[in-house]
Amino acid sequence: MASTGKFGSWWSILMAATAALLLALAFQMALWGRSLLPRGTTWILPIVLSVGVGFGIVLIYRWSLGRSIHKLSQQFQSMIDSREAGLVMLPEGDELAEIARPINAFLSTVVAESNRLAETNRELSLEVRLAAAEKEQVETIILSISDAVLVTNRFDELVLANHAAEALFEFGMDGAKRKPIDEIAGDPTLVRLIREMRNKAGTTSGRRMVEHLIERDGESRVFNVTLSAIREGSQDPLGVVVVLHDVTREREIAQMKTDFVSSVSHELKTPLTAIKAYTEMLMDGEAHDPQTRDEFYQIISSETDRLYRLIENILNISRIESGVVKVVREPLSLTRVVKQAMDVAGPQASQKGIVLESRLAPMYCQVEGDHDMIYQAVLNLLSNAIKYTPEGGSVRAAVEVDERRQVVGFEVVDTGQGIPVKALPHIFDRFYRVKENNGMAKGTGLGLTLVKHIVETVHDGRLSVESHEGEGSEFRFELPILRG
Amino acid sequence: MAHTILVVDDEAHIRRVVSMKLERAGYEVITAGDGEEALDVCRQSPPDLIITDYQMPVMTGLEFCQGRRQCAGAEHIPAIMLTARGFDVSTEELEDAGVVSVMDKPFSPREIVMVVEDILAGCKAGEGVGVAGEVEGSREAM
Repeated sequence: MASTGKFGSWWSILMAATAALLLALAFQMALWGRSLLPRGTTWILPIVLSVGVGFGIVLIYRWSLGRSIHKLSQQFQSMIDSREAGLVMLPEGDELAEIARPINAFLSTVVAESNRLAETNRELSLEVRLAAAEKEQVETIILSISDAVLVTNRFDELVLANHAAEALFEFGMDGAKRKPIDEIAGDPTLVRLIREMRNKAGTTSGRRMVEHLIERDGESRVFNVTLSAIREGSQDPLGVVVVLHDVTREREIAQMKTDFVSSVSHELKTPLTAIKAYTEMLMDGEAHDPQTRDEFYQIISSETDRLYRLIENILNISRIESGVVKVVREPLSLTRVVKQAMDVAGPQASQKGIVLESRLAPMYCQVEGDHDMIYQAVLNLLSNAIKYTPEGGSVRAAVEVDERRQVVGFEVVDTGQGIPVKALPHIFDRFYRVKENNGMAKGTGLGLTLVKHIVETVHDGRLSVESHEGEGSEFRFELPILRG
Repeated sequence: MAHTILVVDDEAHIRRVVSMKLERAGYEVITAGDGEEALDVCRQSPPDLIITDYQMPVMTGLEFCQGRRQCAGAEHIPAIMLTARGFDVSTEELEDAGVVSVMDKPFSPREIVMVVEDILAGCKAGEGVGVAGEVEGSREAM
């Protein structure tokens, strides 16, 4: 009740009291008029009576108004508590029913608006969740790309980089965010390209591809760099995306293939040249005596064999690589195979004054394998050792049995020029030839590839190499021992 | 006096057949198994003509031809290059090295004698190096 204005309530009481007083006065006059009341009798009673009645009326009115207001206030309070707008309800004929109508009209627009906002809110939060998920997805994709990716903003500061970029430019993304790109990449050309792309993006296609060489740890790597401007509409670029694709290996392989074709071409044409030349000599009657004629025939025959062997080598690698090779497995003695190969390689060694030593386990140690292939592998390793050992050096071949590990090992150790450390991981690659040793001997870069295929792919063995530049190399393979 | 020809090839069979054919044709022949040996020959007794293989151990035929440009008396000897192709060598490089003719493998000994006669006839006529052999090999020919 106290919620009604104090001034208003006292004003109404005063009004009611005045009305009651006037009423009482009128009543008094009337009574006097009719002489019902003798003049001079007291006025007090009617006045008190009238004032009492007036107060009574006012109090009843105030009570009923207060009750309506309380109802209204309660309904508002429950709306506030439930945080939900509704309609106010007052009984028919209530004093405040008049006010309730516009309030209800207003409240229903509030309810409608609030419902609309709630719906919009739901949609927006869904969109935000989707956008966040999408952002995370895109970032995961960028992070896991094997190409290095850098994203810069309009101030040429780094905003995103993936793991490959961190590894390439040797930094951690944690402390690098919003750092100037030239502090991160430290590659003047790349920084210049990024700046150019950001400056010129409005006038160019917004995408540029360049080939770029990056030096790392004394090793130069070739990258295909793609720069793309990030733009919104036709505005100035917001930043640049840089993708660096390492093409070093592809280039090396392409170069290896070219070199291989050159080598094979030379290797095939050399015996062919001898065959053609000696045949022509015979046809022209240049071989005057039977002995020379025989010699020429012999040369033609042996060069034909050489050509055949070379073609076989190339074919064997292709066959093993494509898995169509026919393998004849039989129990055999590795020692015997090595002896056969040494007989063939012997003359090549003695021609260069190289001592060919051997330490071979007894004949019985056996493995299971394809005789011709294992013979080929042993011969390739032996003849490589002889080829790359300078005159007067030595080549030692050994066969030993390791009962504990159940393997038979063959090793060939030379006192040759050795293999540079950086070449070692590639030594068994197809077409690969150690550049530094190119002058020492000719080859197609296929010999060791073939050995690796024969030992590991066909016979489940293991081939390894150790080498010290200037001191020599040691090639070793192991095959599982034959049981039973 | 017979012309002297230096034949450089790491393949003994090729050296032999080329020198035999040239000797039959009346030339004097010196042989070398690699570029190093051939340079020694150039320093000691420069020949009138060089026939060299391209792909050889130690140094290529081109490197040898470039190297002998430093040997007194051997700087201007015309050279014939024998190749199996597949090498990226430019005509300019060949000319600079004094290579006047490029012959593809497999070659014919008869043809070699003809080319040699042409080149030496050109030299004798005072027309200088490269008459018989404008460089036949271009980038793709090598």
